[in-house]
Amino acid sequence: MDDLYKEIILEHYKNPNNRGKVEGGIEAEEANMLCGDKLHISVKVEKGKVKEAMFLGGGCAISMAAVDMLLDKVKGMSLDEIKKMSGVEIEKMLGVDLTPARKKCAYLGLEVLKKIGA
Amino acid sequence: MKNQFPIFKKYPDLVYLDSGATTLKPQVVIDKMDEYMSEYSANIHRGVYALSEKATEEYESVREKVKSFIDGENGEVIFTKGTTDGLNLVAFGWGEKNLNEGDEIVIGLNEHHSNLVPWQELAKRKKLVLSTELSENTKLLAICQVGNVLGQINDIEKIVKEARKINPDILVVVDGAQAVGHRKVEVEKMDVDFYAFSGHKMYGPTGVGVLWGKKNRIEEMEPITYGGGMINEVSELSSTWAKGVERFEAGTPAIAEVIGLGAAIDWLKNIKLDEREIAKYLFDELKKLEFVKNFSSGESAVASFVVDGVHAHDVATILDRDNIAVRAGHHCAMPLHKMLGVEATVRVSVGIYNTKEDVDKLIVGLIKVKNIFKA
Repeated sequence: MDDLYKEIILEHYKNPNNRGKVEGGIEAEEANMLCGDKLHISVKVEKGKVKEAMFLGGGCAISMAAVDMLLDKVKGMSLDEIKKMSGVEIEKMLGVDLTPARKKCAYLGLEVLKKIGA
Repeated sequence: MKNQFPIFKKYPDLVYLDSGATTLKPQVVIDKMDEYMSEYSANIHRGVYALSEKATEEYESVREKVKSFIDGENGEVIFTKGTTDGLNLVAFGWGEKNLNEGDEIVIGLNEHHSNLVPWQELAKRKKLVLSTELSENTKLLAICQVGNVLGQINDIEKIVKEARKINPDILVVVDGAQAVGHRKVEVEKMDVDFYAFSGHKMYGPTGVGVLWGKKNRIEEMEPITYGGGMINEVSELSSTWAKGVERFEAGTPAIAEVIGLGAAIDWLKNIKLDEREIAKYLFDELKKLEFVKNFSSGESAVASFVVDGVHAHDVATILDRDNIAVRAGHHCAMPLHKMLGVEATVRVSVGIYNTKEDVDKLIVGLIKVKNIFKA
């Protein structure tokens, strides 16, 4: 039917790999007041690289799938490398075109991640 | 009806269910605004040449049209930028001057932010008491005639009678944004002091609204925007204000928009506004879907609901794929959504062009949404 809600996004939304909280990790959170998307991310860094990363919160399928896929991706990256990531990479990761309104949903995870250890 | 709206020529499959946010524009309104802009687009009140006089006449004639439209012939009409602007004008044009420390204002936590935030700010500035229940100390009551999320219809006439029993001098200001364009409004019958609404929610253009007020209440107001058009005399260090409602209409107004509002009123005069049938159909059809929780009661053709297990944004995006336009979020009513216990709802609001088929398409769309998100 629809490319925005393709299988991979729904799969990450329904069965996320990274939901939870990293005990003793560095934390950051953010909310999108316009719609009620809320995100809390916790990260453990070892030797300068992300070892564990998990998220808690609720929101639309785009925001939840994006953060789950993002946390898969950043394992092994440094916080500096993460800070250099852009919204365009998120869209490439999701593999879909986003309207301006939904971009905010997709970028939420990256926004919170960039706040970690800021 | 749809053929009176050019947008349906461009998008024949459009199922527009967001009239609560703004209504679509009929050709007659567009044409009337076009006529001003193409044929007599002079400024009003200022020129002594024929074009300016024609513009002034067309503009001023809308004032009387508005009074007649809302049965407020004995009051005054101030043109504003919209409902929000009008409510702010009451708060800071009337409230600032006439309320004192310790006075109580009654507000509703289920109201649109535009009929909530100005009162919060006024209360902060003047050290007023905010309450949700009328008491002997209540000096001002701010309430909507129809709610923008739950579509509840407040019996303003009854509420005003009760309020005046407690305090005969209470100032009642009504947010009529969701009422005009959906039902006949009778401001004098309701005995309200101020009534604010927007042109763009009654098939008129954006950028224009009305604040209607009782003559004596308007006398009690102070201007809050200063400059040309609202003065009587200007000397080096001070100025005096104009006598009439012009003192609340500083600067060149949205002339084309006021004229467009007039055209919308003329157009609506020949239409019977009655949404009861489609309101019931919408409510009944949504009730059949067990995965939809509808917070509205079906009093008016507005429904705000959540879909089990699917975020409002996802519902709206999927419906959009099928050309169904709905709104998702908190609809400028955060305290209300907190009371409902949900982060965001999907809102469907009907306009004059909507049919039962539109509601049917919405239902099919919602079933589709549920299927996509099936666990």
